[in-house]
Amino acid sequence: MAPYLIRRFGQAVLLLLVVSMIGFAILHLAPGGPMAQYAIGSNMSQEDLDRIAQQLGLDRPLPVQYAEWLWRMLGGDWGTSFRDGQPVLHVIGSHLGATLQLMLTATLLAIFLGCWIGILGAIRRYSVFDYLATIGAMVALSIPTFWFGLVTIFVFSVELGWLPAGNRETVGDGSLLDMLHHLIAPAMVLALVETAIWSRFMRSSMLDVVNQDYIRTARAKGLPRFKVLTRHALRNALLPMITVAGLQMPTLLGGALVTETVFTWPGMGRLFLDSISYRDYPVVMGILMFSAAMVLIGNLLADMLYAVADPRIRLG
Amino acid sequence: MSSSIFDSSPGDSNPGGDFAAREAAIALPPRNTALRRFCRHRLAMAGAIIIAILVLGSYLGPYLIPYDDTFIDIMQRFAPPFSGAHILGTDELGRDMLARLMMGGRISLAVGFTAMVISMGIGILVGAIAGYYGGIVGAALMRFVDAVLCFPSIFLLLALAALIEPGVASITLLIAATAWMDVARIVEGQIRGLRERDFAVAAEALGASDLRIVFRELVPNAVAPIVVAATLNVAKAILLESYVSYLGYGIQPPTPSWGNMLNNAQIYLTSAPWLAILPGLFITLAVTSFNFLGDGLRDALDPRMENH
Amino acid sequence: MTQDDTARLSRILAPTRRGLFAIGGGAAAAMASGTAFAQGRPAGRPPEKPRGQVVIGLSQEPTVFHPLMPGIEVDQGVWWNLFSTLWYIDPDGKFVPDLAAEMPSQTNGGISEDGLTWKVKLRRDVKWHDGTAFTAEDVKFTLDLINNPNFRVRNRVGHGLVKDIKVNAVDEIEWRMDAPYAPYLSILSLTFMVPKHILSTATDPNTSPFNNAPVGTGAFRWGSRTAGDNVQLVANPAYHGAGPYLERVVFKYIPDLTVMYTQFRTGQIDYTGISGISPNFAREAQALRGRRVHVNPTASVESIAPNLGSPVFGDKAVRQALYMSMNKKALIDAIYYGLPTPTESFLPAQSWAINAELPKHEFNVAKANETLEAAGWKRGPDGIRAKDGVKLEFANSTTAGNPVREQAQQVLMQDWKAVGAAMRIQNMPAAVIWGEFWQQSKFSSVMVAVNYMLGSDPDVTPRFSSKAIPAKGGRGQNTFQFENSRVDALLETGATQFEQAARRTTYGQIQRIIRDELAILPIFQQVLVEGTKDNLTGFKPNINTSSNCWNVREWYWAS
Repeated sequence: MAPYLIRRFGQAVLLLLVVSMIGFAILHLAPGGPMAQYAIGSNMSQEDLDRIAQQLGLDRPLPVQYAEWLWRMLGGDWGTSFRDGQPVLHVIGSHLGATLQLMLTATLLAIFLGCWIGILGAIRRYSVFDYLATIGAMVALSIPTFWFGLVTIFVFSVELGWLPAGNRETVGDGSLLDMLHHLIAPAMVLALVETAIWSRFMRSSMLDVVNQDYIRTARAKGLPRFKVLTRHALRNALLPMITVAGLQMPTLLGGALVTETVFTWPGMGRLFLDSISYRDYPVVMGILMFSAAMVLIGNLLADMLYAVADPRIRLG
Repeated sequence: MSSSIFDSSPGDSNPGGDFAAREAAIALPPRNTALRRFCRHRLAMAGAIIIAILVLGSYLGPYLIPYDDTFIDIMQRFAPPFSGAHILGTDELGRDMLARLMMGGRISLAVGFTAMVISMGIGILVGAIAGYYGGIVGAALMRFVDAVLCFPSIFLLLALAALIEPGVASITLLIAATAWMDVARIVEGQIRGLRERDFAVAAEALGASDLRIVFRELVPNAVAPIVVAATLNVAKAILLESYVSYLGYGIQPPTPSWGNMLNNAQIYLTSAPWLAILPGLFITLAVTSFNFLGDGLRDALDPRMENH
Repeated sequence: MTQDDTARLSRILAPTRRGLFAIGGGAAAAMASGTAFAQGRPAGRPPEKPRGQVVIGLSQEPTVFHPLMPGIEVDQGVWWNLFSTLWYIDPDGKFVPDLAAEMPSQTNGGISEDGLTWKVKLRRDVKWHDGTAFTAEDVKFTLDLINNPNFRVRNRVGHGLVKDIKVNAVDEIEWRMDAPYAPYLSILSLTFMVPKHILSTATDPNTSPFNNAPVGTGAFRWGSRTAGDNVQLVANPAYHGAGPYLERVVFKYIPDLTVMYTQFRTGQIDYTGISGISPNFAREAQALRGRRVHVNPTASVESIAPNLGSPVFGDKAVRQALYMSMNKKALIDAIYYGLPTPTESFLPAQSWAINAELPKHEFNVAKANETLEAAGWKRGPDGIRAKDGVKLEFANSTTAGNPVREQAQQVLMQDWKAVGAAMRIQNMPAAVIWGEFWQQSKFSSVMVAVNYMLGSDPDVTPRFSSKAIPAKGGRGQNTFQFENSRVDALLETGATQFEQAARRTTYGQIQRIIRDELAILPIFQQVLVEGTKDNLTGFKPNINTSSNCWNVREWYWAS
């Protein structure tokens, strides 16, 4: 396994390098610059903007800036945010908790619901439930998340007044109950798409297993259907779900961005959006590198877990 | 966020990544097969019919109604649907909603379709070259694909949006630029597999040019997954257009698109909910239809995946 | 709903807005309306000890806490509570000494006859939040820091003229100016003092820990910050002035105005700060129970800013025709729900320098067409006019993602089509449009709200002087590329006059010329629709400060 890991690690580092080049190029080639959006409101002239760009070192040639960024990055220095002067890692860290909270809740919700729907759909294949689940999943995948979120706020917060219209917590409250109360709506919205995905994969995986010879044999031997399903089928059908979890990493980060925007959730998505509109290059680069690393780690973990869980697969 | 359940991931050595593809088609009792086929087709057919209606409505509809999609009548703002001369009501500037939905449909569908064609073009080209030549070129191209896939798509979209001035053409390119990677992967895999097969070897032996082998022999043989991916990509592109609009980088007014109509309607969600509900419904309807169609096509064209 | 509420509601939503902001002398009426309400209900007295908290909603995130660095209005709202200025301008437009013991003037000898030597007496009872005494050394340090070339200062307008700063005593400071410069009084009213004993030890003035743990002399001390969500300040019991009466102030970042309004409605926030309540919710907000809605003018003027360097807008006839064919009333009444007041000047109506005699806008499509015909702009087969091969078409840009402005743009597009002018909408993200595109005059026309004043001073040299055109190598923000020798001369006169009456005449003439030349097509003076909870007392909008959070020290909850 060690050589395999080393190879994968090498690949990942290479990928991250390419990612950083693409990201850096896109960002710095984009028109506009930091502070520009503040210029109109605080009487800053082109001269002031130029002076600040120079003070930030943004007037140097791009390759030089990239080389410096890379060099610092290799030394563990992610740079400093232009917006609030904090180290980038600190900035990311202070937004990460909120996103993880939302993502994990939504994922857990989606796994339970999705697997349940998927298994039931596979067992009762072509039943009314199965069709409804299929159609439901397809519609869920097709609804614009933000629209669903807005409608949720409209119905549950504005009309019914059951749920808060966004935010992570009531300022100054901080109780667990308060936090859960705020979590319900955004987690539901984010979980919708995830549930649809999980249910489809689960159903497909379950069908795959149910139709395997050994299950048929077990059934033919006269073992009770329920026992066969739980003892043999389910265990094997859940296996590929590990991969799905890895695959969902980037999707979730993106989905969280939109959901966070709708629900004013102070997470990474909001941070990314604000940083890019401000042209806070160090933070945007930091987030891109961070999310790319997360994606790669997610994939690697999924592959390894899969190999651990399924002895038939040997990594190498 | 994803409209396709086959969002792929980097690192093509996923042992379980394409488990769905490995799903074997096991013979089922005939009754079930018939029912299954019927229903499968029914959903896909329904999708196709809805798409046809949307396309026809968008392209012919504007000629049939007496209102212009950009004519502002400030005195007639916020007329609710089914209340007067405007069947679906008017928007925040007193423009006819039906006319705007039709023209918006034109734009959204055109953006979706064009973005699909462009992303397919890039994807097929990159995938075919990488798959056919393999080696360093192939590896380099596919690592580039992997790297781009490392960006969560909405992050990539936003980063790219910073580069452009919002407009129909630039938004289309933007969406295409975030949607070609999956296609490249699929095509690369297919071509790599097909390359060693008899007809390719035969063509090579006959002295056909690389270009000819790739595009006359190999690509047509990979057409099934490409068509499926293309259909799903249209759905994805329509959805992405609405996200770009929502996040403030959408198509410029006064040109309507379902995405920017929905975005502009946000502030009137409580006072004039139909402004947000109608375009939202049309987006969902169109995207669902394309997804069903893609699913149906997958069944029809690729028997290995029918269970999905 | 009380009688007052009804009266105010009908005033706000009245079809004719005449008298809406009939504010005699400064923003007095805005303030008066506040006090009128306070009389209508048991306002109570401020508590003995700071009590309770206020949650202030902001649509942009405050991230800059060093009050001399580049920041926006929301940052300034926080600064007003952490820091103090030498003096500030109250809602009536009067200077009020804060850290200074008295206002320097030519009468009391604080400013020399020639306007070149300034001497400021300071209070002796002011302490920094860490207990250290505030002295003249801090003022000297602040002014020096602003002019430090390595420091990332916001801008140096006015400060660049300051020379030979001398600390005469712990409570007296003196400096010389390179040239007499009247607006400096106003600039200093927005310049917050920073502590020498903390900042002078920092190696890099741009990245000291102070930036994220600021220490000031204001009514509130730094509490905590949850990045992306909120900033909390706590009461400073040792504050040198009246207040504070609140235990804690929370600045809550809510990026979306619709969500902000919803949260105000559901009671999660107590006050909608910048950018307030969207005009479309104003009427609905009026009807909310337990909430109060304030409609207050800001110092910004919404206008179409033409690029006078372009062939189309270089022609005065075109500007006149476009101005005449703009249906201002419909625009304000429909798109902005009749809330803002139309204006002809670049100054807010509350400024002491406002020229109320400017010609009134006249909506006249026929006359606009005549003007264009007479100037040689003939209609082509497509209905668009052209002259000497130049078509009467142009782009209009504004910050993308502002739905209300986009509506206004579309209405103007239709208005102008009627006179044969083709406008195209070309909106861009804020970081793009207000960078080079705007600063180097690469735009065709822009729809923008600008506060043209320097602080609250009507000096518009950076905006309208021919030496302030960045595209022509000038220093300033005359991105319209307006050049007029009479205005140049008047601007020079105005900056060296210290007598208000004389200055009023000077700036009155400048406004007249700008209006005649239509250097900008003024639409209206912006208003901010803000909401507070009913029992929040002490909220006092002030057009002369950059933020209505300027006096949170005086806010309290009526019991």
